[in-house]
Amino acid sequence: MASRIVSLTVNDRQEELLARPGTSLLSALRDTLGLTAAKRGCAQGACGSCTVLLDERPVPACLVPVETVDGASVRTLEGVAADGQLDEVQQAFLEDFATQCGFCTAGMIMTAEALLATNPNPTRDEVVEAISGNVCRCTGYAPIVAAILDAAERRRVSRRPA
Amino acid sequence: MLSKLHLPCSAAEAVDLLRLGGWVIGGGTVVMPKVNTGAVPVEHLISLRHAGLAGIRVAGRTVTIGAATTLAELGAHDELRFLHPVISSIASPPVRNLATVGGNLLVPQPHGDLAVALLALDARIDVLSVDGTRTIPVDAPVARHEIVTQVHFGLPNGQWRYRKAMRRKHNSASIVTVAAVLGDDTRIALGGVAPRPIRARAAERILAAEPGAAEAAAEAAREGIEPFDDAYASAWYRTRVLPVHVRRALLGED
Repeated sequence: MASRIVSLTVNDRQEELLARPGTSLLSALRDTLGLTAAKRGCAQGACGSCTVLLDERPVPACLVPVETVDGASVRTLEGVAADGQLDEVQQAFLEDFATQCGFCTAGMIMTAEALLATNPNPTRDEVVEAISGNVCRCTGYAPIVAAILDAAERRRVSRRPA
Repeated sequence: MLSKLHLPCSAAEAVDLLRLGGWVIGGGTVVMPKVNTGAVPVEHLISLRHAGLAGIRVAGRTVTIGAATTLAELGAHDELRFLHPVISSIASPPVRNLATVGGNLLVPQPHGDLAVALLALDARIDVLSVDGTRTIPVDAPVARHEIVTQVHFGLPNGQWRYRKAMRRKHNSASIVTVAAVLGDDTRIALGGVAPRPIRARAAERILAAEPGAAEAAAEAAREGIEPFDDAYASAWYRTRVLPVHVRRALLGED
């Protein structure tokens, strides 16, 4: 079996790991690097619970063979809070009751981060489309959509020049 | 059992590796679910990620798209806005960041809406084997020892129409997909109603004889379909609603 050494920048840290052929980025993050925020749900890209940012774009980590992204930059939920401070998206999810069992939350937040990074002022429809690949079986989505819109507003306020 | 994932740096190298009998993996959205469950019957995976097959060129009215171009890249291209509704009807944004144009051509229906659009556009694909490149229609079969390298087509001469009936507004496979170029040489392609995208030739013939005969053409679109039951819809339902969506596409109705 031809395993391969893979280098990644994960949450701004240099990491190096040995990957068996076909190892997913999700497995590398969870099983090798111990970053368990991204969840293993369906393992076929349908549930979104493993969504991470790969070179700043959201992807289901279960669909990416880690050997193919040697040298890439990855951001997971563990890399969102700075100095122990929740960011606007996390804070909005917390205060707006947008998480119940929590299984979808890491993927939802990473998808929301990707949306707000490219579209700081999304419409409700744009939020709904952005999270259309993230399944939540608890909330009925309404509080999640509201939290993402709220996070966008919080971020606009906090970044408004004084 | 998987013994190696290959990362060829060119299409020629990738084709050469196919001698090993492995599978080609593009964006991974079809192959990785099988890898994840251990259901891959091959020893070798050949990734096209570094094979130099990504990119979009628009020269005059001719469009050339590399097979490893992602759906997201195509969906963001300024000169191909008419295809944006096609792309945004496929899967979800994270999946579109991985899924490739070439892969979309090869997935079975009711997936592969871009393949339906490309059939309506009379697209050609270049396929490479160790014997060289051949150019074939987008709906022609690709052999196991071949790799799709690029897709090319002309910008539509006529009105472009695309309708997809889904279970919900986003991220659903097709119940019925209709793509059409309306004009002197009307071409109508259908998805969701056969194992592969098909032309609605009977409907095209009716419109060629009488351009205003949308109702009759919509009914004739049922000719030659081979609908199937799946989790999205029954064959009966697909047959029932197909003329509705063809008519709406022809008349430009929502």
